[in-house]
Amino acid sequence: MTTYNDKSRRAFLSLCLKGGASVAALTSLQLHALSNTLNSTNLTDYKALVCIFLHGGSDSLNMLVPTSGQYRTNYEQSRQNLVVTDAISLTTKTQFEGGVGLHPSMSSLTPIFDSGQLAFVGGVGTLMAPTTLTDYKSKSVSLPGHLFSHNDQQATWMHGQEKISLNTGWGARMLERLNQHSSFTSNISLAGSNPWQTGVNTSPYALSRSGVMKINPLSGYQPQVDHVKGIIDRLLANTNNPIQDAYANRLGRSISNVQNMNNLLEQAPTLTTQFSDNDLSQQLAAVAKSLSIQAQTGSQRQIFFVSLGGFDTHDEQLTRQPALFSTLATALSEFQSAVNELALQNNVTTFTMSDFGRTLTSNGDGTDHGWAGNQLLMGGAVNGQDLHGTMLDQQVNGPLDVGGGRLIPQYANEQYFAPIAKWFGLPESEIYELFPNSRNFDTFAMPLFNM
Amino acid sequence: MKTLVLLITFLALTGCGGGSDSNSNVAPENSSSDSPTSSTGNNTGSQPGDNNEQPDNTDDTNNDQDSGTQDDIGVAPIVDVKTPGNIVRKGATIVIDSVITGDSSELTYVWTQIAGPAATLVNSNSPSLTVILPETSSPNQDDLVFALTVTNNEGLSTYTEATIESVNAMSELQAASLLQQGTLGPTYAEIQSAAGKSEEEWINEQLEMQTTYHMPFLENYPDKEQPNHINRIDAWWKASINAPDQLRQRVAFALSEIFVVSDANSALRGEPEGMTTYYDMLLKNAFGNFRTLLESVTLSPVMGVYLSHLGNEKADLEKNIRPDENYAREVMQLFTIGLDELNLDGTKKLDNDGNAIPTYSQTEIGGFAKVFTGWTFAYSARWNRPSKNYTLPMQPFSEYHSSQEKHLLNNEVIPAGTGAEESMQLALDNLFMHPNVAPFISKQLIQRLVKSNPTPAYVQRIALIFNDNGTGTRGDMAAVVKAILLDDEARKYSSVFEHSGKIKEPILTKLHFWRTLNAASQLNRYYTWNLQSTYGQGPLLSPSVFNFFRPDHKPSELLNSGLVAPELQIATDSNMISTTNGHYSDLIWRMAERKNTLNPNTIYMYGAAQISILESAGLQALLDHYNIVYFAGSMSDATRNALVDLDSYFLNRSPADRVSQLLYMVSLSPDFNYQN
Repeated sequence: MTTYNDKSRRAFLSLCLKGGASVAALTSLQLHALSNTLNSTNLTDYKALVCIFLHGGSDSLNMLVPTSGQYRTNYEQSRQNLVVTDAISLTTKTQFEGGVGLHPSMSSLTPIFDSGQLAFVGGVGTLMAPTTLTDYKSKSVSLPGHLFSHNDQQATWMHGQEKISLNTGWGARMLERLNQHSSFTSNISLAGSNPWQTGVNTSPYALSRSGVMKINPLSGYQPQVDHVKGIIDRLLANTNNPIQDAYANRLGRSISNVQNMNNLLEQAPTLTTQFSDNDLSQQLAAVAKSLSIQAQTGSQRQIFFVSLGGFDTHDEQLTRQPALFSTLATALSEFQSAVNELALQNNVTTFTMSDFGRTLTSNGDGTDHGWAGNQLLMGGAVNGQDLHGTMLDQQVNGPLDVGGGRLIPQYANEQYFAPIAKWFGLPESEIYELFPNSRNFDTFAMPLFNM
Repeated sequence: MKTLVLLITFLALTGCGGGSDSNSNVAPENSSSDSPTSSTGNNTGSQPGDNNEQPDNTDDTNNDQDSGTQDDIGVAPIVDVKTPGNIVRKGATIVIDSVITGDSSELTYVWTQIAGPAATLVNSNSPSLTVILPETSSPNQDDLVFALTVTNNEGLSTYTEATIESVNAMSELQAASLLQQGTLGPTYAEIQSAAGKSEEEWINEQLEMQTTYHMPFLENYPDKEQPNHINRIDAWWKASINAPDQLRQRVAFALSEIFVVSDANSALRGEPEGMTTYYDMLLKNAFGNFRTLLESVTLSPVMGVYLSHLGNEKADLEKNIRPDENYAREVMQLFTIGLDELNLDGTKKLDNDGNAIPTYSQTEIGGFAKVFTGWTFAYSARWNRPSKNYTLPMQPFSEYHSSQEKHLLNNEVIPAGTGAEESMQLALDNLFMHPNVAPFISKQLIQRLVKSNPTPAYVQRIALIFNDNGTGTRGDMAAVVKAILLDDEARKYSSVFEHSGKIKEPILTKLHFWRTLNAASQLNRYYTWNLQSTYGQGPLLSPSVFNFFRPDHKPSELLNSGLVAPELQIATDSNMISTTNGHYSDLIWRMAERKNTLNPNTIYMYGAAQISILESAGLQALLDHYNIVYFAGSMSDATRNALVDLDSYFLNRSPADRVSQLLYMVSLSPDFNYQN
């Protein structure tokens, strides 16, 4: 019988679980010691990146709409019954033909936008190289695989590269390149496992919304807990093949991570910022709570993943989209308030990703899978109160329409990611390794950050 | 089964004088063959029929035809053989008797085996042959042929053959191994009932069993006049725990993870009858034809709402309205062919540059989107006044169906003017006939039932059955399921396969405990409200049409290994802890025998049978029992020792406490959670 041993895991486990099953196993000092053992790069500052994934493909071309002129006329002709009226006209640093109107359900974002902590990124999507309609039709440039397919396009956004044999997410790759991946507190998900946070040697710690999770068998009379924990450790060390070992690894890691995180969260301060009851606000509340204890975790770089589903508005878009945008805007503004309260506004950047934009044409009461879209970028370091990239001309059968009102992105999503990675601390030389296709573009064309 | 072949009587002459007085009864003096069918003497009396084992002295036989008609020849013994009347099992010792008509004195007997896996023959020179049949080496039956030559004192011989078909008699462990793949978690009674049967017998019994539908279990919510979402879950538990047609229930559950609908976060939450009808539809078609299943899925109003082709209209160019593409896309990507062209063995076809070849483009999506226009709830008075009947298949309104031509796969085009019903039939035929369907569906069913990483050869064997069940039928799901379970890669008789199993799905481990421990509440309610947040999954509760986990999910631990482990996609920290907490709550806090009083609402586990084993036969006997029921034989020594040491702490507790603690530790052990 072979027993597979993942040395780093065993070492980590034995460090974490020193003292048997005691719930109060680790002090923050010990955690500091632990993270120092594991982190070979000594970064001097702290930064966190919060990814909000809008599952289903947000119709973000309806989030920012033209307010006047020919762009408005084209938009109204294209969108017909799904037109957004009463858009809030934004004053952007850069002027755009037709103006920039924000969906009225997102009014709670205007104070943050006006304060310079929020920017939009327009006309962005998955691309492998600059692509024109002629290129698309003649197939003269490589295109991302399986355009318009949910899970493939989600993966392309989260991988930050086309599908290859070894698929890893760009969030995880950044942590690994910065040697920040070994501590579980560096990679936290409120929305389960996901490609963005899955790397060669890292996968996210899934934090529950409520934060602290009790582990039933390890609560109660200490001698019994110690005995039971000893047996669990023996069982988890006894595996016979890699798949079984992966299971044991997950369970063992879950137990130690939860115990450690519980200890830290119990020390978290109470914020004055109130979060709403909606799911996204609750996820971001948990992120804010984690940020409040970042000093104790010892992680110098953290990535967080939260998500909001329901954007696949094939039907009932007129009622579903305002609700989704309202939830998103509310959660974002609450979160930025909490970050500001923690005085971490220059250390924390929040950004959105989504499967794809949606068709300009309607299927009656909804839209189908499209391509280019708009994204949000928020934080004190962000070059805010502006739209970076472009306001797309929403014209069916126009020069960007590959069919049905699916618009070719004018900026690659890797042009969106690269400045974020640079802000996070990656040297420019490594950005091209992180995002292989970004070479084919003017990588830093969009000045997303105040640097 | 008894097959008696009385082939021929050889009328053999040793001379015109009517035989010799020699007692020679063994080797013929002039045999032209060492075949066991050679008769004594050099003259055989007649043509031995269609016997392949006949002597090759055919010319002699023909030449001697005339001599056989001589009046003065002797009479060879008249011999029959009697084989066991019942089903013969591998590894058994059986007796084959000779039956002589007439004078049985002074006969000699020679028994030999002439075909089949080698058996041990005892008393091969006596009237009754004792055969020790070989042990099980494959799931298929063994055909063994034995030859008997009886020679009388005149040297006249008679040759007969007997064929024995020996079938498997599964041991309890073998039965447990099959049942963990083919049930929702076997009980000991089910394992005992299957033991002694062959794999095929058990599967055939299951295939023929009456379907247990879930709708009869769907009750109204207390004090309400209709069922609630939780009543659908309640019905699922009741049927899943008690249904005798476990193989069908397991396959339907697997299908529910391929043809995904969900009321986890959709308006379908308010339609428990519709959701239950959908599950029943999967049950009904589990052993039917894939084409019928695909049509039933397509026309289900629940699917129509979930993937929004219900109420989907033809294009209206003035308003820039096109048909909804949702179902068109997912029926191809997820329900039939997948994104890339596949070989029969499930591997991707590659073009000259080594790239995968997409199965469809926007053209086909647009075509199928037009196909699925014009359909709405059955018996709707008008298109805009839908009946909201969630249980009957959808029906079309021709004026809302696109009459344009529709591009399908393989450059097939439905001509303009084709109606809704006919377009749908043509489109589903087009999908069904695509060569990807067999490997795409076969592999996923293997992954749901047997193992995460089937070899391409295994996938190909099943895909071949999918394409032709042996009698020319494509898409015979019963044949596919049977082939999956009988395959050597599932049964593992002849080879050791690497990575031969899968991680069990958390909801199925819970169900396994509930089945073995007769989980029940006094009010007979199974209201489990938080399955998704506790176990990361639940019946028809997927977060999206992409199921709880993808069939190609590679956890970070396996990135370099070439292996996938789909079920680990939901093995997040919080799910792992909440799952193990859920088991703790079931197995320890809610073990009925540990309670003095029972709350009528609470679902309790009843451990009496196991407690009784512990009390009467001791810990090792209980662990032997667990090794069969929960581990299907894969409890390692290390796991056993850990369980013994666990129990040492609880020795002075009640037997119910000890059983609870042991069960809980079983529930989290890697040996239990890996279905091997």
